[in-house]
Order: sequence, then structure tokens, then C-alpha cells
Amino acid sequence: MSYKIPMGPYHPALEEPYKLDMICEGETVIDAKLHIGFNFRGIEHLAETRNYIQVIALMERVCGICSNIHTLTLCQAMEGLTGQTPPPRAKYIRVIMAELERLHSHVLWAGIASKLMGFKTMFMTCFEIREKIMDVLAAISGNRVNYSMNRIGGVNRDIDDPAAILKMIEQLEGEMMKTVIPIFTTSSTARSRCAGIGVLTHEKAISCGVVGPTARAAGLAQDLRRAAPYAAYSELEFDVPVEQAGDVRARLFVRALEIIESCKILRQALTKLPPGEINTGEQKIVFTTGTATSRVEAPRGEVIYSVSWKENARNPSRVHVRTPTYVNMPAVRWMVKGARLADTPLIQASIDPCYSCTDR
Amino acid sequence: MTVPETLPKKLGTTAEWIEKGGVHWIDPSPLSTRELCMEMNVAQARFITITAYQLPKDEGIRLEYHWDLDGQLLGFPFLLKNDSPETSKIESIFDLCEAVDWIEREIHEEYNIEFTGREYEPLLLRAGDTLGVNLREEVKK
Repeated sequence: MSYKIPMGPYHPALEEPYKLDMICEGETVIDAKLHIGFNFRGIEHLAETRNYIQVIALMERVCGICSNIHTLTLCQAMEGLTGQTPPPRAKYIRVIMAELERLHSHVLWAGIASKLMGFKTMFMTCFEIREKIMDVLAAISGNRVNYSMNRIGGVNRDIDDPAAILKMIEQLEGEMMKTVIPIFTTSSTARSRCAGIGVLTHEKAISCGVVGPTARAAGLAQDLRRAAPYAAYSELEFDVPVEQAGDVRARLFVRALEIIESCKILRQALTKLPPGEINTGEQKIVFTTGTATSRVEAPRGEVIYSVSWKENARNPSRVHVRTPTYVNMPAVRWMVKGARLADTPLIQASIDPCYSCTDR
Repeated sequence: MTVPETLPKKLGTTAEWIEKGGVHWIDPSPLSTRELCMEMNVAQARFITITAYQLPKDEGIRLEYHWDLDGQLLGFPFLLKNDSPETSKIESIFDLCEAVDWIEREIHEEYNIEFTGREYEPLLLRAGDTLGVNLREEVKK
């Protein structure tokens, strides 16, 4: 006899509200249905009532973890409509902020995954490191969460002392290389809890159109920083980690390796930071009629913004946001099919879901 | 010759790609959304999203279908008239492309557009909410 077990909308395993209705036979999940919308705020509608300064502040609040990525994508789209080109230094600062945010996001996720594995010591270690990454972000931007760094035509704040930031990054990297990376890649606890569970096959990953580490853990070597470089990524060297297994361990592995790659990018960007202005200094921004689209590789995968504006209009006529969790989330249904009920909290967390992004 | 260069021929159109606003655009007519989707599946393009815009006055609603092909963002616009519920319809591609499920459901809720040939379950709206309440001008008013 089958029975239905709901997980959510409020559940200890969920960072934010959503609902996974699982049909089980014994301890095995045979099907699942997802329900979202509990965080729906109508942000795309609100964006149509904000001017070009206000809309950046609004979109920064789509997500509390990858807030910088949202403003970066939005500003890149708006730069397409205003003809503004950020100076080289601004492009490098954008890369530095984006990679610090990736580190922050991946380490946060590693902490939550550790907690769900029952590995609470690791949870504490990850959150301690995350605090230090937030300290670096605060040292650059003055803020720990919503950094207000991006503007049309560049960034709002400079990095006055790249050497000091580089020193902080090297210390952080040293700590992560001693703790997070070896534990997640070699420890038997992580392996026994993650290997072979929540498998998303390569074929299913393609048909679901998943993005980011979820896709790369299923053998899809897609990364916009490489395939369609933006900011200063085309001038930096890095690898795109790809795993084939498609299970939770592969997602863990990909993120651990991406932490190493992010540190590599940060070192290069801080060393090569070109001199010059940090924005175009344009006081009056003039929009042309049209639509511009921008994509970036957020910590969880591809974010796309499509912005429409009419000349002389105060507000955008449309801002459409497609976040990575929006495409990764439906794949959870296939990951939990055939899984043990006890593994489902970790499986759903393995895509690093963000429901406030998804619901907008 | 890259796949985007050969694609117009495959699509049966003489139009050329226009790069604008970060997207490679082409008018997909006379192809339907389903025919286009089948071609995109053959080309192994990755579906990204559909963006809906309500055009000013009574010009209708523009649906922009986006796929990624080797890192290039492709855009295919479809125009729907919005003078009656009958014209606010377009064929669903859900059975051809699983990734389209949530965005079709979202546009159905935000703009009250019917994607024919599929069933809906609520996505973002809750019980008692009106279709189109967020972004469809006539309903918002």
C-alpha cells in the first residue's frame, strides 16, 4: 500500500518554505510532487514600478545569498540598453565579488549539507569559514549580505588595497584546503551518506535543462564563465570541474572543486586588477527603446535577466528573471524516485535550492 | 559553418539572425512552437526560458522562446493577439521539452495565456487568486 508523506512547507530540512509531497511504498519513495509559491512576492511586477536606481536595489533582494549576481546580471542587461561599457577595473571587481559570493554560497551549502548528513562538527567548521568570507565581502563593500556594488556602467566601490584582500583570501584558502576540501572529497562519512543517492542521470539532466553544479555533476560541462564569458572572465584561467555520477556525492565533489577554482580566479583577479576608473561616471543615464538580455553563472547556475525599456520612460516596462533553482528544482522529483525516505532531505538540499529566488 | 548559421535553413526560413541586446534573434514563422522545439531538440540546444511581454495598447503579447546553443543565446519571438480569450492561446511544448513545464505554468498564471495540449497545476498563485493578476494589464486594472 502506498502512502503520502509531505515534506514542508515548514520542515527542519528546508531553509525556506516549499513542499515536496512524496508517495512512498514502505521506506521507498516511488514518486513526488513539488509545490512552490510560498515566498511569492511579485518582484517582477514591482520592478515595473521602480526607476533604474531603485530597480537595482529591488533586484538585489531577490536572493539573500547571491544578491550580487542579481544586480550584476541586471546591470549588464541595462548597460545593453544604455550603451554604457564598464571600465576594465570595474569588470575585475565584478569578478572578485562574484567569486567571493560563490565561495560564500558553496561553503554555506556545505555547512547545511553537513548538518543533514548528521556531521555537525563540519557544519560548525563551514559556518566559521563562511563568516570569514563575509568579513572579506564586508571589507570590500561595507556590507555582509546586500553589497550594493553594481551600478550601470561599473561598480560603486573600489578595492583600495588588493594585497590586503589577497592575504585574507590566501588565509581562507589555506583553511578550506585543510578542512572542507579533504573532508568532502575523501572522508568516509561524506562518502557513505552521499554516494549513489539522489542520482540524476545524464539524459534526465539534459531533458530537465538543469544548470550549474547540478548539471556539471551529471556530466554536462556547461559554465557561462567559459561558454559565454562576461565581465573579465575571458582574461582569467580556470577549470570547470565535471563529474559523471550524477549523485549527491558528485554534486558535493563539484562544489568542493569549484571552491578551489574560485580561489584560483580570485588570486589572478586581485593580482591583475588594472588601474583606472571603477565606473563610467555618467550622471544621466539615457535608455533606448528595446529589450536586452544578460546571463551570468551564479553559484547555483545560470541566471538570466531580460529587461525591456521605452525611451524616456522612468521605469522598465518588463523585467523577467529566470533563476537556476527554477530549472533545477523540478529535477528533484527524478532524484528522489527510488530513494529511501530518510535520504530525501539531503537529496533535495543537494541542488542547493533557493526558494526566494525561485518564487521571486 | 556553426550550427546557428545553418539553423535558418533547417527552420525553413530565409531570414537571418540578428544580434541584438545579447540575443541572436530570428523570426521563426511559419514554424509553430512545436516545430521549432523539435528542431531545437535535434540541434541539441538547451531550453532556457520563455519571456512574456504585454505590448502597448492592443498590440498583443509577445512570447520570446530562448534556447542556448554552444553558449549562444537564441531568441524566437511569437506574437499573440489579446483581443479575446480565444486568441490568447499557443501550443504547449511540454511533451517535447520537459524543462518548459514551470515557465508555461507561470506565464499561464501571470498573463492568463493558454498553452494548449497540457494540464495545469497551480505554481505561484494560491487558491482564489485570479489568472493574470500580476502582469496582465486588463486584469491588474
